[in-house]
Amino acid sequence: MTDLYLTLAVFLLVNLLAALWRIARGPTPADRLLAALLFGTTGVAVLLLLAYAGGGAALVDAALVFALLAVITGAAFVRRIWREESNGHS
Amino acid sequence: MDILDLLSVVLLIVGAAFFLAGTMGLLRFPDVYTRLHALAKADNLGLGFTVLGLALQAPGVAAGLKLVLVWLLALAASATLSYLIARRAFAKGIVPWKPEEREP
Amino acid sequence: MIFDLLLAAALLWSAVQALTTPDLFRAVVLFIVFGLLMALAWARLDAPDIALAEAAIGAGLSGALLLDAVGHLRQKRRERSP
Repeated sequence: MTDLYLTLAVFLLVNLLAALWRIARGPTPADRLLAALLFGTTGVAVLLLLAYAGGGAALVDAALVFALLAVITGAAFVRRIWREESNGHS
Repeated sequence: MDILDLLSVVLLIVGAAFFLAGTMGLLRFPDVYTRLHALAKADNLGLGFTVLGLALQAPGVAAGLKLVLVWLLALAASATLSYLIARRAFAKGIVPWKPEEREP
Repeated sequence: MIFDLLLAAALLWSAVQALTTPDLFRAVVLFIVFGLLMALAWARLDAPDIALAEAAIGAGLSGALLLDAVGHLRQKRRERSP
């Protein structure tokens, strides 16, 4: 099972590298932030897989913090940066 | 390999497939709303299947419930953020994408 | 092994991009992404407590604070040149 966990972790990391392209290109600020949120979720999955591949149960706590972080970042973005009066292109 | 391991392998691979679908959607879809849709697939179904597949291998009930707790937190975060971002995008006047009309 | 190499490449790329991009908001998003990848690297190096701290402080709190700062800067610039 450990081999499968590590293979899937590598696969998810390749997904993350593909999402980096959207951060580099993203026409509106929201697209960049959505890619960052995808990083958070996929990071949770990678951490859980690493935890069960022999990394220890403490990694599950780190995954919990990852899931919590997305709300803080997204709320700060919506409240502080993406106001109505500014146009869509940064 | 008993039946529980087999089920776990299937669930993990389905979860990874949903993550792939979410990433492809984020790269290929045309505007903010459709990309939110793709992100929700990765958040809810991809992480959900991965957590289910791992929870079958958990050493105890408490460890399995903790995994499910991570998933529930991610669900709440994803739903709240999708609502906030979509509402702000609509208030800013970003028009939802429509497929181009084809002349018959 | 492949995992570590990919992680190192992504870390280097996001760090270079965050330092050289002219757009402030893009730099902040790349900084957040760098923090998340760094937390994965700490987890890979058998240091789960440092991964926890990096995810909470490095990517989360300072990311939100930097986003707030960018918002304030934009508002100031808008007030100065209407």
